Amino acid sequence: MRKLGSVLLVLALVAASAVGLAACGSSSGGKEGGTLTGSYASFPDYLDPQLSYTSEGWTALWNSYTPLLSFAHAGGKAGSKVIPGLATAMPKITNGGKTYTLFLRKGLKYSDGTPVKASDFPATVERLFKLNSGGVPFYTSIVGAEKFAETKQGGISGIKTNDKTGEIVIDLEKPRGTFTDELAIPFVALVPKGTPAKNLTADPPPATGPYEITNSEPGRGWTYERNPAWAGANGKLMPQLPGGHVNKIEISVIRNDSTQVNEVEQGKTDWMQAPPPPDRYQEVKNKYEGTQFRVEKTVSTYYFWMNMKRAPFDDLKVREAVNYAIDPRALERIYAGSLAATHQILPPGMPGYEKFDLYPHNMAKAEQLIKEANPSDLNITVWGDNEPENSEATQYYQDVLNKLGFNAKFKEINADNYYSIIGNVNTPDLDTGWFDWFEDYPHPNDFFQPLLSGESIAPTNNSNFSQTDIPELNAKISRLGEETLGPKQEAEYAELDKEFMEHAPWAPYGTRIISTFVSSAIDLDKVIFNPTFEDDLTSFQFK
Amino acid sequence: MASVQAEPIAVSAAADSGPWRLALRRLRRNRVALGFLGLFVAIVVFVIAAPLWADHVAHTGPNATHTLERITVGGEKRDVVNPEGKPLGPQWFGAGGKFFLGADSRLGRDEMVRLMYGGRTSLIIGVVSALITTILATVLGLLSGYYRGWTDSVISRAMDVLWAFPVLLLAIALGVSLAIGGLKIGPVEISGGSIWIPILIIGVVMTPYMARPLRGEVLALREKEFVEAAVAQGAGSLRVMFAELLPNLWSTIIVFFTLNIAGNMLLESALSYLGVGVQPPNSSWGTMISTGSELITSAPLLTIIPGTMILLTVLSLNVFGDGLRDALDPKSKVRFEARAGVAATGAAGTEGLEELGR
Repeated sequence: MRKLGSVLLVLALVAASAVGLAACGSSSGGKEGGTLTGSYASFPDYLDPQLSYTSEGWTALWNSYTPLLSFAHAGGKAGSKVIPGLATAMPKITNGGKTYTLFLRKGLKYSDGTPVKASDFPATVERLFKLNSGGVPFYTSIVGAEKFAETKQGGISGIKTNDKTGEIVIDLEKPRGTFTDELAIPFVALVPKGTPAKNLTADPPPATGPYEITNSEPGRGWTYERNPAWAGANGKLMPQLPGGHVNKIEISVIRNDSTQVNEVEQGKTDWMQAPPPPDRYQEVKNKYEGTQFRVEKTVSTYYFWMNMKRAPFDDLKVREAVNYAIDPRALERIYAGSLAATHQILPPGMPGYEKFDLYPHNMAKAEQLIKEANPSDLNITVWGDNEPENSEATQYYQDVLNKLGFNAKFKEINADNYYSIIGNVNTPDLDTGWFDWFEDYPHPNDFFQPLLSGESIAPTNNSNFSQTDIPELNAKISRLGEETLGPKQEAEYAELDKEFMEHAPWAPYGTRIISTFVSSAIDLDKVIFNPTFEDDLTSFQFK
Repeated sequence: MASVQAEPIAVSAAADSGPWRLALRRLRRNRVALGFLGLFVAIVVFVIAAPLWADHVAHTGPNATHTLERITVGGEKRDVVNPEGKPLGPQWFGAGGKFFLGADSRLGRDEMVRLMYGGRTSLIIGVVSALITTILATVLGLLSGYYRGWTDSVISRAMDVLWAFPVLLLAIALGVSLAIGGLKIGPVEISGGSIWIPILIIGVVMTPYMARPLRGEVLALREKEFVEAAVAQGAGSLRVMFAELLPNLWSTIIVFFTLNIAGNMLLESALSYLGVGVQPPNSSWGTMISTGSELITSAPLLTIIPGTMILLTVLSLNVFGDGLRDALDPKSKVRFEARAGVAATGAAGTEGLEELGR
């Protein structure tokens, strides 16, 4: 017994040393594994890579669906760098910027075991078009894409692939300076050929990234588990992409922001995607900044769009009046410190940004302009979503319109469906409303082409809510879009910003300051905030 | 002896008065019911006075925003919404009645003005939807109970379908689907944000809960002698239903109506809280609770005050409705008390019930 006791004592000492060493390891490197719990304030627009077009959706999809190219999993400027994803290297650009050649890495698999093939790329792009996705405008410059968009038949002739060699050749109608960035966003994240051309949010397609979505309950939440194909092959084949630290991620939709804060404070939830609600923002910041809370600057513009094709906003004077009447300081206060006032299209941090304000707040001038315009149609429908700050901002806007003499009615839509509803041009009474835009990629064209080019007006999933269609500015967007971004182009984008604001299709009011708030169990220093995809779920690690 | 003397007086009084006068007399004796009726009337006066308060005291409308404004309280300037986004608390009469109950949110709207206007909205929805429920339920109950046969089958099955859905779930589904496109029935068009949407939804979904008991009562009444007599005199179906049966249903209808107002107000609050009832920026007590709940930690009064108003209104209507039922149909009270007696005393109570039955 005594002998056994001494043996046990030795074993216990060895075990204790091992635990001690492991603990030392974890203090420097953190724990691997575990289940991360997170919360969203509303369900993302879609959990389908070809359809999702919100920052919430992209945060959710980034680590499951990998395009041929990707963005570096890093914060700040480093996170804007495009790196190879499923492709072996960056594209070879020839033919005066019109031909992109890439090679798919060999041996990649989807989470269901299906091999990833080069021919999945055109199938993915075709699926995007068949779904009338909001991402369509990014890819219409591919040869044959416009025809395919109309007929939805016969394939896209400008994409040629070879499954044996993995070669993918993309021919464009004209050079496109943003195309490299556009090959790195989730719209063209590969899904298997034959994936149904329907919204697969409730049953997301197989994944190529480190996590696969194994369960999705629209409106309630979803779950990620480690992608078996990542451990098998994909992880080794794509060492430039992180594999993640936790084994499982459970996301639930908790509508009440304050409840989300309580749950993170109590450790019931490890991360909340939305920032704390305004009435708790300062409290959380004061209490947890540096340990569990971090302020993050986004490259975004919050704005009210005015439908230029409908009265009374078809009149420039009315649109100018609205811009003069809105006081961004009031909106800053409504967002309680989580918004910095701006009054232009390009946000700070975006190449080409040069600060200006064509319409400093001046109610008297606004009223004078309305008097001159003398609009015949005074009945306006103002659209907004039901996220508390956005709803209040829209109610403020409605009050401003009423003060200008309009009869404005607020139509509040659940945030889950808001984009789909206002993105459908057949929705009745699309007069004006609220929206925000976070960069798709770090290129100023991203704030002009999808949002303000006449070419982008689509029957569904439309992002040009103001239905702006100014031929000379369309041409300028198009021309600049063909050029590689440099100082000259940046200056031209700054000029384009002013030119658009002279037409006042929007009343921009701010850029968002958001935050990362995690439970005490999470190592905040390790959490990466990417300027495009925001919180990177692969960077979350338990202490 | 005393009881022997009292009986002829009561009989004589009953003979002199109609049933309505008797009911009024009974109601007058019910001090609790009258007290709560007084409370309800006070609430109605409070909400009717909304424009007076808004124009002459608060000097602002219910939806006017004051985010960046400052008010003077005792010579001191105060932000209506401070830079951290916290709205002003109750100022009572410190600012001459402005922001009496403080500001409602980061929009800096006057909470008192919104409470008064919100009460109007909640009461209008409660009363009008109860009226719709009452009219629909009475007509359907009469048709179903009087005609019986296939008419009854069709109406009853339709009511069953409505009844099969949880009332809140059905109301939410209708609210969501009508929120965008509104409602168009022939020439009548109601826009998505109109107050008529929650009124109609509540009015319709609550109908089976009143139509069913009325149908039962009509089924019993149509077998009575006075109906046979009316038919023998050549009265047509419509006349029997509306001139003979309906007057006998009034007491039930009135009681249901008052209780429906309370129930419908609660349903409106729930729908508005969930965002499918009254649309912002218009206020109702339900939307005010919803807005206030976002600031529950820093400004709990914004939730407590409209919540208390709902509580008082519903309580006053329920207690008054109970009193009205006791006054209009005293047998129901005796039956209820007898049933309560059965539950409390078992066999002894059963004997009591039998006694009452005799």
